[in-house]
Amino acid sequence: MATEVERKTDIGPPSYEQFLHPIIKENYGKWKYHNNLGPGVLEHVGETGSIFTVRVSSPRLVSTNFLNMIMDLADKYSDGYFRFTSRNNIEFLLANKDNIEPLKQEVEANGLLVGGTNNAISNIVHTQGWVHCHSAATDASGLVKSVMDELAEYFTSEKLPAKLRVAVACCLNMCGAVHASDIAILGVHRTPPKIDNQTLPNLCEIPTTVASCPNNAIRPTSIEGKTTVKVDEDKCMYCGNCYTVCPAMPLADPLNDGVSIWVGGKICNARSEPMFTKLAIPYLPNNPPRWPEVTSAVKKIVEIYADNAKPYERVGEWINRIGWPRFFDMSGIEFTKYHLDDFRHAGTTYRRSLHNRY
Amino acid sequence: MADDLNTPLLDELEKGPWPSFVKDIKSLAGKKEMAKDLLRQLEKSYEDKRGYWKHGGLVGVMGYGGGVIGRYSALPDEFPGVSHFHTLRVNQPSGWFYTTEALREITKIWDEHGSGLTNMHGSTGDLVLLGTRTEELEPTFRALTEKGWDLGGSGSDLRTPSCCVGPARCENACFDTLAINYNLTHQYQDELHRPMFNYKYKIKISGCPNDCTAAIARSDMGIIGIWKDDIQVDAKAMAEYVDSGMDIQGLVVENCPTGCIGMDGKEINIDNSNCVKCMHCINVLPKALSPGKERGAAITLGAKAPIVEGALFGSVIIPFMKIEEPFEEMHDLIERIWEFWDEHGTSRERIGEFIERVSLATFLEGIGEKPLPQMIKAPRDNPYVFYEEYFAEEGEGGK
Amino acid sequence: MAIPVEQLADEMYEIVKESAGVKKLKGGDLTKAMVAKYGDDVSRADVKAAIRVLIDSGRCVYGYFGGSSIELPHTEAAENQ
Repeated sequence: MATEVERKTDIGPPSYEQFLHPIIKENYGKWKYHNNLGPGVLEHVGETGSIFTVRVSSPRLVSTNFLNMIMDLADKYSDGYFRFTSRNNIEFLLANKDNIEPLKQEVEANGLLVGGTNNAISNIVHTQGWVHCHSAATDASGLVKSVMDELAEYFTSEKLPAKLRVAVACCLNMCGAVHASDIAILGVHRTPPKIDNQTLPNLCEIPTTVASCPNNAIRPTSIEGKTTVKVDEDKCMYCGNCYTVCPAMPLADPLNDGVSIWVGGKICNARSEPMFTKLAIPYLPNNPPRWPEVTSAVKKIVEIYADNAKPYERVGEWINRIGWPRFFDMSGIEFTKYHLDDFRHAGTTYRRSLHNRY
Repeated sequence: MADDLNTPLLDELEKGPWPSFVKDIKSLAGKKEMAKDLLRQLEKSYEDKRGYWKHGGLVGVMGYGGGVIGRYSALPDEFPGVSHFHTLRVNQPSGWFYTTEALREITKIWDEHGSGLTNMHGSTGDLVLLGTRTEELEPTFRALTEKGWDLGGSGSDLRTPSCCVGPARCENACFDTLAINYNLTHQYQDELHRPMFNYKYKIKISGCPNDCTAAIARSDMGIIGIWKDDIQVDAKAMAEYVDSGMDIQGLVVENCPTGCIGMDGKEINIDNSNCVKCMHCINVLPKALSPGKERGAAITLGAKAPIVEGALFGSVIIPFMKIEEPFEEMHDLIERIWEFWDEHGTSRERIGEFIERVSLATFLEGIGEKPLPQMIKAPRDNPYVFYEEYFAEEGEGGK
Repeated sequence: MAIPVEQLADEMYEIVKESAGVKKLKGGDLTKAMVAKYGDDVSRADVKAAIRVLIDSGRCVYGYFGGSSIELPHTEAAENQ
């Protein structure tokens, strides 16, 4: 292939310094404090002045048209400077306080919401789902859209007891690492891969397929003289790794795939230590395009939490205070055998004291 | 514009207050066959309640083993526009700061070479360009590098490091998260682009224990800001909080996990020797309180999602270290960790699983660090100690 | 005496070829094979350089199937035209 310019590699990302607003550069490392100017708006006060942040919702899966719209607003109101948060919110960084209101109005006119700060639900971090992933048990973007349509008022206000972090992952591989969120929505496969013995011998390398299973559940076998594989169904944990190497082992099962709901995780160290999310609802059906069972379950948990937690109490802290039996009572969620851990270190989750509430 | 799409289920997702990804993808449908077929395939997924993608493991740009995720439609005849739908991970700038000038270069490249769809951003932190054909990968890469952008990690390599907003816009940053993120990413370009590890290695960098990048839950190596000395108090601002009528007793004092805060009129008294740096009081009283002056970071290792052995949080390996340019102490630590993990880890074994398998004591010895009580919640409660030192009668060679 | 990088590359290529279709080899597997054969005469840096020679020349490609591998170029099962 003819090359006009030398091919570059290993140049790494551009320096962040060129992307910092002049006020940020001047006050870099010298911020004194911040003020909360209402939902979605922050003022950070530095030695030589303030920078104003307007935080805006985003579907994360966005087109160049969407980005160009955002950038037109940034050019108009924030001198072309903006950023994204670790939860995929958009943040406009304004030098001029007078630009806040007109920017908010134009953001809203473009169908976006201002909010997500302090005691609010921030953007839902999520994965690819049926839009792009080969092992998804559900769609992520559609779930997020459906849930946030129900919870939008908690994004644009700060009326929750504390911040509420919701995450969606579309299978157990958890690219979205939802295992430490206040509320996690997790796509689940519930049945082992179905082997297409007709196409598998031509399509897949047997040793590679066998080796792909992290639990050694796949063994070579012979059917009608052709070498194929079989799955020890008791060992399968539905990770989809075999389907990754062998397209003749689809994991998708429309009848059984669905969604589970988890609660009470947190990451920050404030007050209590970081906590994993715990199982609340083992299975809800996939019901696109709106997933009504999921949205109503999540909304109910949010509302009970909002009504009962003390200020600054995260979901997990609130449940630890009232106890899990009361959580199941209040939420009306059925407690089942699936809530009892049976994996590694399961015993550490058993009640090993008489500290129970009756 | 997109009338021929016939996607009644997805059309439902154009309604409601939250911004609609369907509406947005449709905005591309006028010019992109890829966007149209993506919607059509997604509509079929919504009808059939299953995904229709296959994983492609071999595509990439020349010389790199990371940065591209191969994806093919399982129904290429029905949806030829997404027959190939590969992803490029573009290494984001520290703290996800952009200017419109810089990002417009990327949107222009992507309109020319790909679907026009992106993730801002992916779970690891990269700017994700979603959906293109195999033959467009190399031209896209060339166009990106021409403008000063490079690809991020994927596979068994150093994944793209990411950091919080840090000193750029946060008063709590205990070190320069953006600078060290930039430094480490450049220092380890080879490890990022050419997978040589047992498995992935994610680095996340948060400037304080609020941990906005979720380093403790989502990174094999977390660099999390911390301080050693006393919380700084602005007495005047503290008095103003008291005068404002705020319930300091209920909101701050009673929420302190170690009960080390007391109020004496308008004065706050903190027993700093018993403070665990949880950040709660500083978060609630940002004008009056701030982290101490002797600042640095704690290093955690081993966080991961559940696959395969269960989810892990990171655990403290270095309770405190200074984080200062040119970050050589950090390079030294990282390289000691990688060397030991390389040598003794097994395929697909994350560093957290590795440490659990060989034991923390063996791991610490392997990387040349001393055991410290800050590394544990409590000492062991089982008596099966494998003593390495014992006495022997003279001449029998005790240790 | 240090083994030339080109020689390491050739030897590793043979290993990858033999293993094709049987086991997906990782960078670490190749490193361990060379260290086992040559001991102190080969360094990790040399092996890394040799792998880069294999990849940059197009003789081998990186694969990813739940872990990265070094393989011969071939058409994979999932590929569409």
